[in-house]
Amino acid sequence: MALIDLIKPECIKVPLVSTMKNDILRELIQVLKDAGKIDAVEAAFLDVRAREDKGSTGLADGIAIPHTKTTQVKNLTLAIGIAPQGVDFDSLDGKPSKVFFLMLAAPNEAGPHIEALSEIARVTISTTFVRLLSSARTVEEVVELFQG
Amino acid sequence: MAGPIRNILVYVDGSEESLTAAQYSICLAQTYKAHLTALYVINTRALNDLVRSHIFLKSEQMEYERDLKEDAERYLNHVRNLARQKGLVIDLEKADGAVNTAIKRYCKELEIDLLVIGELSRIQSRRDEFYNEVERAMRSVTCSVLIVKDDDRVWSMFENLS
Repeated sequence: MALIDLIKPECIKVPLVSTMKNDILRELIQVLKDAGKIDAVEAAFLDVRAREDKGSTGLADGIAIPHTKTTQVKNLTLAIGIAPQGVDFDSLDGKPSKVFFLMLAAPNEAGPHIEALSEIARVTISTTFVRLLSSARTVEEVVELFQG
Repeated sequence: MAGPIRNILVYVDGSEESLTAAQYSICLAQTYKAHLTALYVINTRALNDLVRSHIFLKSEQMEYERDLKEDAERYLNHVRNLARQKGLVIDLEKADGAVNTAIKRYCKELEIDLLVIGELSRIQSRRDEFYNEVERAMRSVTCSVLIVKDDDRVWSMFENLS
């Protein structure tokens, strides 16, 4: 499955308003709840948090890719959020994270999960792309960047 | 004189599209009396890339590699059972590494004259096209390639195959 097939406007939030790591995770999970992708926000949060406790998914250059396997979803699900203000996400380079990809995968979806994460890793190699993404002001702008 | 298709390779990754491709390849193999091999690639290159880019922890890499190996067994067995239903004996191959490279290697080593793959994801950007591993394999193998579409028709064809 191509990354673009996972990107749904209803699963994108611009801007994210939270300023703390846990709140950002909850806000992204709530986006999925509002889009009808999950039912139990707290259970999903605990699964994501358990993965974060093993090591932060805050990477360098303002990107964070929180992800986990969870029984809370039936299919691979992606939420994207942009926090223009930047949030301390225990990132590798110590800089605030601005672009968040929250990926939840059903436990039997290892293949598509890996494929989608790899694709995110590849597209975010471009510093120009990341800069454009982190400065996006609307959901439409985010979608257009991935379609471009 | 041998027919145009003697050795078929079908790439299976567990997706619905690839399983439809497997059904179609069984129909083809039986019709043309061709030899059929199903290939699953454990994408260890992607796992390595995810660790290198710090998205995966080492422990996740091991966990997912285990998951992928189990998937390989499950899906290849499923394809073998589909073939058995139609009285066809097939070979199962499990590889690891990069999907594109593994498909190319098996096409060459097994002297494949037809590669069968499932319908590709819809391409919405040049970026998708560049990064789709199966599409890259499709473009780079030297044998003919068949992309299977219309799962309803294939299902019906498979069901009617004696």
